[in-house]
Amino acid sequence: MARLWGTLFVLVALLFTGCAESYHWSASHPAYKQAPYAEISLTGLQKAFVLTRTKWFANRLGYGDSTQIKATEFCSKAMEREFRGVYSKITVLPDSLLDSAPEESQKLDERIFMKGKLPEQGIVVKAPDGTTPPQILIIHEVIVGTDLKRENFFDYALIHNESEEKREVQNISAIVSYTLWDNLKQRALFSAVDEIQHPVKALSEQDLEQLMRQTVQQIRKNLYLGVSR
Amino acid sequence: MKRHSLGLFAFVLLLQLLFANTLCAKDVYFDSKWTLWQNADILIWTPEKEPPIDPKEFCLSLKRNNSGIGNPKCRLFGEWERDSLAVRYANWLANNMEPGLDAHYLKARHSSMAAKIQAVEDKIVLFIADKGSSLQIAIFDEKSSEPRAAGSVPKIADKIAQGDEIASTFFDRHTKRRLSKEERLKMETEPDDLYKETPNFRTWVGVSAGYAQAQIPLTPSNWYKRRVRSHVGNYRVTRDSVSLWNFIDDSTPLFTLYAGGIWFGFIGGEIFYRYSNHDVKIDEKDPVYEELDHWDFTQNEIGLNVMLSRTYSPLKWMDLHLFAFLGFQYSFYSEDIELKDSKKKPSKEYETRFKTEDPYKGALFGFGTQCVLLEHYGLSVRTGISSRGKDIYTEPSPEAAAEPTTIGASTVDWFISVGLEYHWTPFR
Repeated sequence: MARLWGTLFVLVALLFTGCAESYHWSASHPAYKQAPYAEISLTGLQKAFVLTRTKWFANRLGYGDSTQIKATEFCSKAMEREFRGVYSKITVLPDSLLDSAPEESQKLDERIFMKGKLPEQGIVVKAPDGTTPPQILIIHEVIVGTDLKRENFFDYALIHNESEEKREVQNISAIVSYTLWDNLKQRALFSAVDEIQHPVKALSEQDLEQLMRQTVQQIRKNLYLGVSR
Repeated sequence: MKRHSLGLFAFVLLLQLLFANTLCAKDVYFDSKWTLWQNADILIWTPEKEPPIDPKEFCLSLKRNNSGIGNPKCRLFGEWERDSLAVRYANWLANNMEPGLDAHYLKARHSSMAAKIQAVEDKIVLFIADKGSSLQIAIFDEKSSEPRAAGSVPKIADKIAQGDEIASTFFDRHTKRRLSKEERLKMETEPDDLYKETPNFRTWVGVSAGYAQAQIPLTPSNWYKRRVRSHVGNYRVTRDSVSLWNFIDDSTPLFTLYAGGIWFGFIGGEIFYRYSNHDVKIDEKDPVYEELDHWDFTQNEIGLNVMLSRTYSPLKWMDLHLFAFLGFQYSFYSEDIELKDSKKKPSKEYETRFKTEDPYKGALFGFGTQCVLLEHYGLSVRTGISSRGKDIYTEPSPEAAAEPTTIGASTVDWFISVGLEYHWTPFR
């Protein structure tokens, strides 16, 4: 009997891992023909960041009680720096531009939905300086934590699963969901959820910075790969 | 037939395209099966200041192009043209409609806009946007918050010709009668035609006629050849006596009376009586049979089946029960033998002719279907294999050698029958 249960368990496990491999983590609009090359407008950097396992980070970073605020601020700055490094012209738009926009969910796969604010149909977002950016990269959410799996956050069948407490931290991770928005025609050109893992021994700010660097690289790579052919 | 007419249609379309010599051909991006109502209410919705078509003339265009449309009503959709949310979506739609984009890319994302579309009831919203040399057309109905059809037509300065163009491209389809408010309400609350509760217990009686033979279909005939072709010599001699078919004819008509019942449409039972008549296979060339007028056996069988069933309802007035059964039976043979009138005293061989055992025990299994019309009148077809036998391994006794050989120790046949049944549900 025990053997039977064991076999069943393995089968079920195989089934689940089989499903996990078949996720689609991005969606492209048929009209997405060219990835942003030198110029990009960004929004969402102020409010998108969330730190999980704050205590673990607090013990290592020495930010004290305000770890959540300070660490997310640090990550936000690091990400912006990194974007400035890879794109020659960056416009960072304040998050308040999207305050009045309705929150919508975008379907990436059968069970994968990402949520975020998108401008309404027929409303063109204007930058504070009065210009109209043709495309905006909207960062919806950046979850920073340890050994995070994106399916636990975005697969609605797994969202309510309690994740097991891990003794040893292998990686610090970032899960980022973003949309490349066609501001002129108000449509989502490319939407994706990325997961970035950075192995860590003794945590320092450099590790967080490195994590953000990898995140930006991953976003940039996916923006290129996502172009509809 | 359909394919041919489709082909013809495509051919005519091609010819029209060639001869019409339209530089900017009309282009339908997608077209789902939206319903065009008779006497349709058409609401013309456009973000342009000046509508490219005239509502009254468009109605006439519709009548000219589609004889089944009845008396359509067309008007500008002022409610939406004044609504800022709808105006925004209209502008967005005019901006975003492109060939190659599916309907879901053109969905109204704002929930209030989606609600507005779903509130148009059975009216048809005709969206028209001016694109310079062409007009973008989209059609909405209450069924979804994305366009049901979209495309473009060349722009024509004459509003009547423009209306004709749109009518022939998008409104050239079969029309359906519009339901009244009461009818629609009734349709919504009406139970499903095929909804039926399985009765707790259903019972039936039936009578069937069929046919039985030794050879089971799809098996080689040489398995049976020896038995089927054997003859009884001297009133009792055959090659072997294992099967009754060595002695009597195997292929005969079969008549059955039966009654059964089933619980929850799933498990049930059936009791039956079967009748058939078998001639003895006498060797006509043997002079010993000259005295004989006729010799045959009547086979009477009673038995009990257990059956498992599954019900399908392909039509409202028809139930189809597929079933498999397994049962046992007792077979009794009664002999009917008579000498010719001229013969006063039978021969010695006649006196020592073979006798059947009484009764034979057997099993049967098979499957079938009951097709019940209007809940009561059933037509049933079933087929299966039945056996009859005698335990030959009896205790040996000193008289064993003197006793006649047991015949028909293992006899199998195949049967098929068609029955008429009456079904009812006694306990509601």
